[in-house]
Amino acid sequence: MRLTTRLVTCALALSLGSAALAQTAQQIVVATDQVRNPSKPFRSVLTLTEYVGGKERDHDMLAVFSKEDPTTRQFRNLVQYVEPARDAGKRVLLDGHSLWFYDPDSKVSVRISAQQRLIGQAAIGDILTVNLAADYTASLVGTETIDDAARQPRQCWHLDLKAASDVATYSRVEYWVEQGSFYPIKGKFYSDSGRLLKILYLRNFAERLGAVRPTEAVIIDAVDTSLATTATFGESAYQDIPEAWFQRDYLPRLQTR
Amino acid sequence: MTARGLILALGIALSRVALADQKGDENKDLDLIPPAAKAPSAPSADASIAAAPTRKIYLENATTQSWLRGGIVAVPPPPPSEWQERLLLDVRDQWRLGPDVSLSYSGRLNARAGDRLNFPSHENVTNDLREAYASWEAHEGTFVDVGRINLKSGVALGFNPTDFFKTRAVVEPVSVDPVVLREDRLGTLMLRAQRVWAGGSLTAAYAPAVASGSPIYTDSNLHSFDPMFDRTNAQDRFLLKGSIDLGNGFTPELLAYHDNGRTRWGANLAESIGQSVVAYVEWSGGPRASLIDEALRFGRANGPLPPAAPGVLPDQAHQGLRNELAAGAAYTTDQPKITFNIEFNYNQAGFSGADWNNWFQAGRNATSRSPVAGQLWTLRNYALDRQEPVSRSTAFLRANWVDAFVPKLELTGFVDTDLLDGSGRAQLTADYYLSDRWTVGGLVLVDFGARHSDFGSLPQAGSVLFKAVRYF
Repeated sequence: MRLTTRLVTCALALSLGSAALAQTAQQIVVATDQVRNPSKPFRSVLTLTEYVGGKERDHDMLAVFSKEDPTTRQFRNLVQYVEPARDAGKRVLLDGHSLWFYDPDSKVSVRISAQQRLIGQAAIGDILTVNLAADYTASLVGTETIDDAARQPRQCWHLDLKAASDVATYSRVEYWVEQGSFYPIKGKFYSDSGRLLKILYLRNFAERLGAVRPTEAVIIDAVDTSLATTATFGESAYQDIPEAWFQRDYLPRLQTR
Repeated sequence: MTARGLILALGIALSRVALADQKGDENKDLDLIPPAAKAPSAPSADASIAAAPTRKIYLENATTQSWLRGGIVAVPPPPPSEWQERLLLDVRDQWRLGPDVSLSYSGRLNARAGDRLNFPSHENVTNDLREAYASWEAHEGTFVDVGRINLKSGVALGFNPTDFFKTRAVVEPVSVDPVVLREDRLGTLMLRAQRVWAGGSLTAAYAPAVASGSPIYTDSNLHSFDPMFDRTNAQDRFLLKGSIDLGNGFTPELLAYHDNGRTRWGANLAESIGQSVVAYVEWSGGPRASLIDEALRFGRANGPLPPAAPGVLPDQAHQGLRNELAAGAAYTTDQPKITFNIEFNYNQAGFSGADWNNWFQAGRNATSRSPVAGQLWTLRNYALDRQEPVSRSTAFLRANWVDAFVPKLELTGFVDTDLLDGSGRAQLTADYYLSDRWTVGGLVLVDFGARHSDFGSLPQAGSVLFKAVRYF
């Protein structure tokens, strides 16, 4: 009887293990990308609250228009600042190598580098919609139970993502994805030099764009840990986004309504 | 238990301890979340976006103190002001009249006082009507605009050879940073049609002549409430420009501009190199006389020079192909994120070394009220009014650092150097974002160089400015 129990336990463990192995690291990233964002074009309103030294400091509001490129499977984003008032109307086009910044005061579009895209809060809109599977090669580090942003334990796959294309914003990403649900729980983003730049927690999973998705992110600046930002998805809706919107000369024409 | 078994058991135990430590470390990251941010936020309402997606209104107070010096060539009256106090209300807004029609407005109301401004006088209140136009999206991606429009072109920072509508348009800038100069300028009354599609864009614009020309303005003879079409619409002008998306963000732009029976051609290129660099080239070329000849013609036709005033400098009156070029690169450092722009600017119509020698020679004994001084400074003011370098070759270096040293402090500095004589203009600007609504800041400007040099001969040695801004 004891032997039979052991055999059954062993078989069960083996079957569970093989089920986990059946999911390759890349498939896990694809699945969790789909949890974060749908493949249809959509718009969202991101409300950002910035904390300095633990105190609430600034509020930003961004309108983000996102559309997946059918060729690269990567999201292309158009970001418009709505708040704060001093930045109202500024727009950023983030489309692979095509990165442009438009300032309605100077009325010119300036091409920016991948490094420059990380300056300012528009970079957060970019982080939250990036399809990691498109630009990174994932490997499975192991299975870990870590606490989520609400300090609830989650059994996660711990993945290591290496940039596989030159449009990848970060050189390396560590990623924790909950087993079973494929909910993205946590990410760590590194620079080319291996420096930890940002720590990301995703939380507040709720119905958004037809599925249960994270509706809020906490982004910690790992370079200056006194800085943290929460990003909350406001009204999200599917919206047709014509290809012409991703032309530099369309930036002054962008209408958020 | 065998030795191998012991080692295996020890290995497993150690790996578990290591894993437990790692997980412990991972959970330590949660301590970095500010207590105030621990509770999830409620999704925000979308009301403010629906209400005013592009509105920007702010009130700014700026106080400027300048240091003057006795220049090597006397400056005709009025002399530059030593101090100025300015309160300005800047408004930019857009209204949708229907699904395809919108109205746009951009303007600035100034209340000014200064040592060169009579008080009270109409000079104390001026209004800059930068833009007022209607837009109609006739078809998806096809737009027609009519009204006063700021149509700008160019990928460079220090000098924009293809920004054909920049001439005479800058009014009372708070800063001489070329980036800020683009903001404080009048649009041109025009009819514009634009088509933007997935593979590029095409723009055509016609700006009619609706006013006759006028002399170059100083800061003490501006009109109070006048759109000043004499600055922007004194001649018929046409622009055609198109860009094509060749992939990976490489979108070259070609331009053709026509006025006064002449056509100038232009091109803009910007390309990313690696993760940190954007290289760019902006060029325009076409028939044009020298800056000296153009300035004299302008001064004789519009004032302040008498119609038959003889030129005090030898000039090149013939029209020939003359090029204008800005070539440079932007580089952003990894940490901290500072963006540097370095740019070479070339204005073939500008002063050569010989022209400068002639300029200083001619002005050697001029007094401030002599016609010679008036003519010599008209040449330089003309270049300034047209937003082009006086000298043929200049180098422009600019740096911008967001969150410099402390969060919310933005530093911007630039040095514009005349490569013929090494003189230059340097400016450092600091803006501190006290809150979402308040910004305080200041700038220091220095013109340096030998007395017989481009910037060293300017009547102003330097200035400081303090400002406070309230956004609404």
